[in-house]
Formats: sequence, C-alpha cells, structure tokens
Amino acid sequence: MSDFQVKADAVDVEAIMRQIRARVREKRGVDYTEAEVQELAQVKLEQFLDPKGLRSDLVGQFRRRRGVSPAPPNYAFEDSTIYETHRGLLRAMRRLLNPLLKLFFNPDRISEALHVQARVNDVSHQRLRALEEMDSLYYELVHNLALEVTRLGIEVHNMKMRVESLSSRMDFDERRGRALESVVQYRQPRQTAPRPAPSVPPIATAAPAAVPAETMAVAGDAGDQGTPADRTASADGERRRRRRRRRRRPGQTLADQSAAAPETAGTDTDAETADFVAEGGPDTGSDTQDSGPDKQ
Amino acid sequence: MKIAVVVQRYGADINGGAELHARYIAEHLSTRATVEVLTTCAKDYITWTNEWPAGEETIRGITVRRFPVSRPRNTQDFGRRSAQVFDHTHSISDELAWLDSEGPRSPALVAHIGRVRDAFDFFLFFSARYYHAWHGARAVMDKAILVPTAERDPAVGLSIFGSVFRGVRGLMYNSFEERALIHGVSGNTSVPGVVVGVGSAIPDRTQAWRFRKKFNVKRPFAIYIGRIDENKGCRTLFEYFLQYAADFPRGLDLVLLGNAVLPVPTHPRIRALGFVSDDDKFDALAAADVLVMPSPYESLSMVALEAWALGKPVLVNGRCDVLRGQTVRSNGGLYYETYQEFAESLFALEASGPLGAVLGGQGREFFTQHYSWPVIERKYLDMFDRLTREPAREAREPWPGWWARRQRTQPPARQVVDGVPAGPVLR
Repeated sequence: MSDFQVKADAVDVEAIMRQIRARVREKRGVDYTEAEVQELAQVKLEQFLDPKGLRSDLVGQFRRRRGVSPAPPNYAFEDSTIYETHRGLLRAMRRLLNPLLKLFFNPDRISEALHVQARVNDVSHQRLRALEEMDSLYYELVHNLALEVTRLGIEVHNMKMRVESLSSRMDFDERRGRALESVVQYRQPRQTAPRPAPSVPPIATAAPAAVPAETMAVAGDAGDQGTPADRTASADGERRRRRRRRRRRPGQTLADQSAAAPETAGTDTDAETADFVAEGGPDTGSDTQDSGPDKQ
Repeated sequence: MKIAVVVQRYGADINGGAELHARYIAEHLSTRATVEVLTTCAKDYITWTNEWPAGEETIRGITVRRFPVSRPRNTQDFGRRSAQVFDHTHSISDELAWLDSEGPRSPALVAHIGRVRDAFDFFLFFSARYYHAWHGARAVMDKAILVPTAERDPAVGLSIFGSVFRGVRGLMYNSFEERALIHGVSGNTSVPGVVVGVGSAIPDRTQAWRFRKKFNVKRPFAIYIGRIDENKGCRTLFEYFLQYAADFPRGLDLVLLGNAVLPVPTHPRIRALGFVSDDDKFDALAAADVLVMPSPYESLSMVALEAWALGKPVLVNGRCDVLRGQTVRSNGGLYYETYQEFAESLFALEASGPLGAVLGGQGREFFTQHYSWPVIERKYLDMFDRLTREPAREAREPWPGWWARRQRTQPPARQVVDGVPAGPVLR
C-alpha cells in the first residue's frame, strides 16, 4: 500500500476517503459497494428468471415460503373405526349386525384401504416437511450462487476491460516502436574526418556524409585505397570492431579469441560489408540509416 | 430550578448508552440545579424484571426514586407485535399495545410523574421509544423535554411518537442526523431543539503501559469497546478482521472489551478481555492505535467521543449515518463500507502510519469544542432558560377517539422511516 498525501496538520477526512476509494478502485477495477453488489445480484437474478418480462420474485417467494407450513389434516383409521360411537348401545348393535352388513359388501377392505391411506398421508407429510427443510437450503444455495455469479460476472467484466486496456497499450507500444525505428538516425561521427577526395573509388564516394566511421572503413577495406585520413579512420574503425567482437563473445578466453581472431575478423568484416551493401549503402544513400551500431 | 430525570433504568453499574447518558447529565446538572431521578426497578433491558427495590435511594449524591415494573416483557409477544406494526398496516391501538409490550411498563411511575408535576420545573425524558417516556411526556407535556436517543430503526416511524415529538417543550438531540430523522418522521421543526450529545468522564491521566502489562498485550492493536453483539456489527467486524489478518500478517491486532453475546473467533490476533473497569478501559484506549466502531445503528457513540478525547482516531461503519457524520464533521477518523476500505483505512490509521496522530488530534479538538462538560451543561441551561422565558403552547394535538384508534390506517413504520432521506449531515 502506498502512503497518503498528508500535506498539513489539518487533514480532510473526505479527501482521504476519496484517496482510499481511488486506490481500492485501482486494485479492484470497479468501486461497487456491498449494497450495489446485492442490488446487482437481485437485478441479474430477476433478468435471468424473467426473460419474457413475466413477474419474477423468486427471492421474495423463497423468503415468504421459508416458514414451516401447517400439517395437513389426517385421521387415524383402525379396523374398529367405522363402528365407533359414543353411544354404547349403538356400538353393540352395529357389532351385532356386522355379519348382516358383510352379506352386502366387505367392510374390511374399506377399513384396510382407509388405514393404508392414513399411513400414506403420514409418510407424505413427513416427506413434505423434509422437502420444506431442503427448500431453505435451496434458497440459501440459489441466493449465494446468484450472488457469486454476479460477483464473478462483474469480475469477468473488469478482467475483460483490463485485457482490452492492456492489448490497446501493447498495440500502441508496437506502433510506437515501429515509428521510432523508421525515424532513427545515425549520430554524426565525433572525429573530424575530411570528406573523401574525388579520387576515392565509387563505392566510398557514393557513401553519404552521415555514414559512420566503420562504414567508411569497410569501404576502405573493400577498395584498398584512400587518403591517409581514410586510412586513419579505417584503423579507428577496425579497433572499434575488435572491441565489439570482444564484447560479443563474453564466454571466450583470450586465447580462444586470438586463435579465432583472423577468421572471425574476416568473417565479420565480410558480413558487415555484405550487410552494408545489401542495405543499399552506396546505392540508396540515405537508407544506410537503418543499420549500424550508432542508432539514435 | 428543579429538574426530574426520567429514564428506564438507572444505576452506577449500568453502562447502557442512554442510561449512562442520563446518569452523566443528572450528575452534571446537579451542580447547577436540584435533580431527582425517576426510574424503574428494572436492571435487565430485555426482560425489565424488577431487581432493585422500589423506593428512594441516593446514588452519587442524586436522589433516585424507583417504581416497580408491572409486567416483565414477553419477548415472543413483543416480537410478534413488532412485526405487525413495523411491516404491516396497523392501527393506533396496535402501536399502543406494542408500546405496552416493549415496556418497561410502570403505571406507578407515570402516575407519580402526574402527581409531582408541579414540584419540578422540567422533566427530562430519556429514550423516546419506551413506555415511561411516551406516557410520562404525555402526562406533563408542557414541562417535558425529550432526549430521544433515537436511531434509524422502524420504531421512530410509529405514529404515536409523532404527537410526542411535536408536543413536548423541547428536544435535546444527540446528533444532526437524529434531528433530521425526527424532523422527517414527525415534522416537529417548530419545537425548540438543540444538538447536544453528551460528554464523558475522561480521566486526567491514562497509562497505556499499565494495560499492556496487566493483559500482556505487546503488539499494536485496534480496539472495540462495547457489547459484542451482531446488532453492533461485530459479526462483520470479525469477518473483515480475519481477512485483514490474513492479508496483513504484520498489521494490527484486535482487542475487544465488553460482554460477548456473539461467539468471538479463536484467532491469535483477536483478544477478547470481557468487561473491564473504567480505568482499564481508558488505559486500553490510550494504548490502542485506533478505535473500531462497526455498529450500523447508533444515535451517538460515546466511546468514539472518549477515543477522541484521548486523541485516538476512529474507524467507523460508513453505513451508520450518525457515525459517519460525526467522523466527517470532526475529521477525527475514517469510515468503511467494504472490506477493501476497512483494510486500507486500518492501514492508514496505524500509529506507524501518517494519518492516525493527525486525525486523533483533530478528534480531540472536536471533542473539546463540542462535547466537553461545560459546553454540554451550558446548552442544557440555555434550553431551560429559553423555555422558562417562552410560554408553553396552549393547543395540544387532539388524541384520536376510540373508533379512530382502532382503524387500521397507519402505514408500516419501516416504510415511514425508509421514506425519510438518509445520509450523514456532513457540514
């Protein structure tokens, strides 16, 4: 965490809070309060549940239904239930006439069916209770899921924005890099080498004034002619090349270097000459700005 | 001048907000006027069971008369009635039944107030939402000064309180937010009122090292003082602090002072020391880097004032209008609404950070200017003078008749309170 800007003895709490929120926003991307997250969660849930504009108040419904519903009415049904009465005489008469009743239909089947039904009712009620208990869990689950999904949605949105921002920055950097490469120029050589005399071979004469010393030296090597000043420049360029070669092979020992020196030097010189020619030194003039160690 | 202080509970060992407030006011006004306290025999604010004997006694030089509570609170009945009046359309009779159920129901206290109305110049009623304040204020409306200690909870939206807020002689508010809330629900802008609050008994000297030695606290810490309860925002505090402890292994510890209703998480950086003496409390505050107040509902945080008095910054719940308003007005701390803000603010307020000392100093200045006892006493005395000079209003709001009281036309109280613009009064 970075320090706060405390400029004087008197500080303004609101200003400090703005700084804190700005920092939180920097870290998190978007400064949503918890209440806003809750609100977003509700809105997104409603949108999800209500794609056709129908009324959707799942959360409200769940909250209302979280209470345990009253037990449905049930009855205890035994074999003797159909004969029960608080009048003793009537009960005795029913029992007496029971055989007669059985002549017309079988009351035992009815008793059995109702008995089973009563038990089924009990089991159903128990299952209903279990489901109601699960309902509250489902409610919590759905609510938490909705909340988390919303949070994740917001986070994904932020991440997307960050990725977009980073890729646009990268594009910009690439473009900037290319633009810099295209406008780079060679630095003027420090030594005041005189301009080549008219007697210099065409390859050296054609080189522009901005061509660096080593380039001129290459030209001198290639033509094996030139003024004393050219030769001085050529020797200077050779020294620079040697130094560069030493830098380029940090792993080599001095013996290795000296053993490989003639061959390497020749190769490098040839390669550089080839590069120079390939990049149009004598032919295209100003295009030589694209190569060389002294890029600005 | 003779003043009666009427409060639901009273005792030297009662540390509840409104009760302590009433005791401090009674004790300080007793140097300028004759003060008598009228209260109940209850000690427990949940059941209102009679625990002290009825009659007269003297506490710290103040005469205290206790009256029995006729019926302890039935919490189930109170919960059912609260749901009815807070969330459903209801009648005035329902609200009165809710008030009876809430308690502390003491008809003897109300009858005594009616009997002695001529013996006192003014009656100071504390905690508008309770039985004693509503019935007592109506018994002596032309001498009643209300100290509402109202929070932004649905009870304030009940219609029966509107007539009291509009009918009393004056109101002593705890904060600008409380005043805005009561103006919003009752439209009592014409009633004389002043934002006063309360001071505290700040010791002349505190010794932080004594607390550290006594309780073996070695690391820098943030402190919470008060009942450790979910209603006080402690669950969220624990949640945030555990995350903070994981994110900042070298950050502050958390020390909790107060009785725990909520289980305190077992964590090496959380220390719950239980209820401690006032000396230990102030020593602890002096040793702390910052006071944390996570409560979402407060009418005035006395402990925040005490922290400021000792030059300590506070970190408060930004969702509590009163706390946020006080913090911004005092420039004495920071507030948070999310974990990220909590962590950033705690970091900023550490003693090693750049802000804590500056904010604490500003808090101390705020306390001295607004909450030192001479200032508080002067505001009370000015109000008494003003009300003595001004004649009492003759017209009193007519009380609805038998039939009107039973008509279910009153909107849900929660809806009424929600309709009042929220937010801190910042400047």
